[in-house]
Amino acid sequence: MQVVGMELPRKEDIVTARDIGVVGCQRCTKVWPLGTTRCTRCGARVISRDRLAYQRVWAWWLVGLICYIPANLYPMLETRTLIASQADTIIGGVLTLMGHGSYGVALVIFVASVLIPVGKFLAIAFLAISAQRGTRSPSLQRMGLYEIVEYIGRWSMIDVFVVAILSALVQLNALATVTPGPAALFFGMSVIFTMLSAQSFDARLIWDAERR
Amino acid sequence: MSATPPPVPIAPARRSWVERISVVWVVPIAALLIALGVAWSSFADRGPVIEITFDTAAGVAAGQTELHYRDVVVGLVEDVRFTDDLSAVIAVVRVEQDVAPFIDSSARFWVVRPEVTTQGVSGLDTVLNGVYIEGSWDTAAGEPRRAFVGLTNPPLIRPGEPGLELGLRAVGDTVLNGDTPIFFKGVEVGRMGTARISRDGGFTIAEAIIYEPYDQLISDATRFWDSSGFTFSIGPTGAELDFTSLASLVGGGVTFDTFVSGGTPAQDGDVFDVFSNDATARASVFNASDVDPLEVSVIFEENVAGLAAGASVDLNGLRIGEVTNLNGIVDEARFGDRRVRLIVTLAIQPARLGLPDDPTEARALAFLQERVAGGLRARLATAGLLTGGLRVELVNDPEAEAAEIDLTATPFPVLPATESDITDVTVTAEGVLSRISDLPVEELLNSAIDFLNAGTALVADQALQDTPEELQALLGDMRGFVGSDAMQNVPVLMEAALQRIEAVARQLEEDRAVERLIAAVDATAAAAAGVPELVTELNALAAMASELPVETLITELTDLVDAAEDVIDTDDARALPGSLAQALAELQATLSELREGGAVANANAAMASARNAADQVAVSVQDLPRLLERMNEVLAQTSTTLQSYDQSSDLNRSAREALRDLSAAADAVSRLARAIERNPNSLLIGR
Ligand SMILES: [Zn+2]
Repeated sequence: MQVVGMELPRKEDIVTARDIGVVGCQRCTKVWPLGTTRCTRCGARVISRDRLAYQRVWAWWLVGLICYIPANLYPMLETRTLIASQADTIIGGVLTLMGHGSYGVALVIFVASVLIPVGKFLAIAFLAISAQRGTRSPSLQRMGLYEIVEYIGRWSMIDVFVVAILSALVQLNALATVTPGPAALFFGMSVIFTMLSAQSFDARLIWDAERR
Repeated sequence: MSATPPPVPIAPARRSWVERISVVWVVPIAALLIALGVAWSSFADRGPVIEITFDTAAGVAAGQTELHYRDVVVGLVEDVRFTDDLSAVIAVVRVEQDVAPFIDSSARFWVVRPEVTTQGVSGLDTVLNGVYIEGSWDTAAGEPRRAFVGLTNPPLIRPGEPGLELGLRAVGDTVLNGDTPIFFKGVEVGRMGTARISRDGGFTIAEAIIYEPYDQLISDATRFWDSSGFTFSIGPTGAELDFTSLASLVGGGVTFDTFVSGGTPAQDGDVFDVFSNDATARASVFNASDVDPLEVSVIFEENVAGLAAGASVDLNGLRIGEVTNLNGIVDEARFGDRRVRLIVTLAIQPARLGLPDDPTEARALAFLQERVAGGLRARLATAGLLTGGLRVELVNDPEAEAAEIDLTATPFPVLPATESDITDVTVTAEGVLSRISDLPVEELLNSAIDFLNAGTALVADQALQDTPEELQALLGDMRGFVGSDAMQNVPVLMEAALQRIEAVARQLEEDRAVERLIAAVDATAAAAAGVPELVTELNALAAMASELPVETLITELTDLVDAAEDVIDTDDARALPGSLAQALAELQATLSELREGGAVANANAAMASARNAADQVAVSVQDLPRLLERMNEVLAQTSTTLQSYDQSSDLNRSAREALRDLSAAADAVSRLARAIERNPNSLLIGR
């Protein structure tokens, strides 16, 4: 992120490091002249725009999407009691809760397990496409979107946490047991891969897109 | 925005594709490959679908009901739907691939539900876990079949199970009790299934299985008879009370024996008749044989009353046939006078003559010819001392004039006869009377009274009164048993027997037997002393008959009934419905607790499923009264036997264990509900 000047940046004021012929080290933030390939302070590779970043973004994004499918098809939580066993998928659990009138909880689960992951997929895809193809939407907004995606990534795991806690708590042998379903693993993997996808994105590309 | 960017060093235009393509692409490609592989293998491993048609599908649920084979899950019901005309229910079952080849035309399917039978409690796990479909098929893979008709009841014989499959057909007044054990010398060697009415309504038939290795016992000479209930008879040999076992006395049973050797082993599918008792079964061996009986005629010089069709034909004391017909004959041309002679037709079973190998009619005749040449003659003899009937006896008379079988006679060959042996009656008349007076009628009655006393004591037993819930139904049936026709008839039978004895005595008195006796007595001085003796004995007999404690017997029966009623009237017994209702109320309370717990913790899906579980408990519990009712019913059916009072009997133990398990399960559920209620926080976090 290369913000120059103290006042709120206006469009015209935004100058990228590339514009002024320098490149920043992504690890230790030391600024080097354009063309430097290795930061001699920390040893990291220095590159002004990582074109390969798009491929990494899309690759991780795709794996995340692949994992998200079984995460919704398989049961998230298997509840086995003395008399019955029940397996709920994410959507199934939401519908069950709504059926019981617990709209609030249903909403929380729906947001955490469906809305946010899907939103993340869309957001990352939008950011990557807009950076690749160029767009009219303001860079600042896209930068904000990117930061939201980055920030929210860790909270997507809330569903997995609940499953983990329940499985650890409810182990009453024959009487009642709660075990995580296969979907928990896939959901967790999906979250990890989308986080990797978001991190692979080279945020500097956002600033290039608008001026093209 | 600055005007022109400073010159940027441009990377070489051509870079190798390794540099242009990120390594990360390996991950999605691997993920895709794995997904495809998993999808393919699960599709390839998927077993076929079979359709089983049931009349009703109570408890069968799509996605839940399993298909079991030898108590291992081998399939799952995927769908439950109706046939096109709604006349039946089709359960669509996905079976596992490795068992699919074995599900051929030999396969049978039925729904396993909780059941309480005379043999114990079965399927109790289905009370809690829901019903499942049990399949059974043989161990050979065959032409696969995909549509089956489910059985209403578990099959008696499971495909591939070793054993001899028979049909048992009731003849005469035999009543086939379905689902009863088959005993041999008191050991259960097989089972009889549910009895069906034949297509024409003429008889009842049931399929039966004889377990290995007892199937060796069955040959075509085997006779089955009904061993349930008991027989009570007074005969020349004394009085007899006979029953096979206490279990069969109550639950019914069939037993068998092979009276003659040399039968060919029975095959699967053979049908046997079931006779009402062993005497009929025994007699049938001689009446019904695979070999046609040899029919011969005998002409007796005497024309005496007492011989009747059905009388036995004996050789060396062994019954070899029977009299089928008898007529008077007057033939001046043949006999030289106009006296009436008796012509008797005998049906002789070749198999009973002890011929080696394969007995036939012709060989039997040849055998008789040979014996007649050696002096074998037919004669009339007294059949029994009490009945006074006659029989035909084949005896060796070495002093007889030479004779042979008249093969030219029509319609049957004529066997030579010799002087009859019916004077024995008079000689043994006194012996008969003394035997009558020796009949242990009194002992029998005493035994019966003792038996009933024991029953009364048992019914009045404190331990018994303490467990009315188990015995209420039982005692109801005890009453039924006591009030049954058979028991009611005991005094009547006794009376009838006494009347018969009296009649015989009277007959002897009135008959020429006594006259002849008197004549005989008159003839010798020694015998003259016998007359008063005879009269004395008759008097003694009459006195004894009048002293028979029939009254006592009836009193005892009444006592027994009273005692049974007392037990039923105890507070414990009356409290029974109350405690049952209480138990149900407790279950209900448990359920509502579960429901409340669900409402409190509805914040998460885990509790939602707990609530579902509670609903299932409710459904199961609705079945409970029915189950209890059924247990009562069956207990009532099974346990008139005193054996059932035994605390260690299998049935009692199973039933008690079942009830204990049920209450333990209910306790566990209520404990869970309480635990969740006390500490809902543990479940509040989350979905
Ligand atoms: Zn550095």
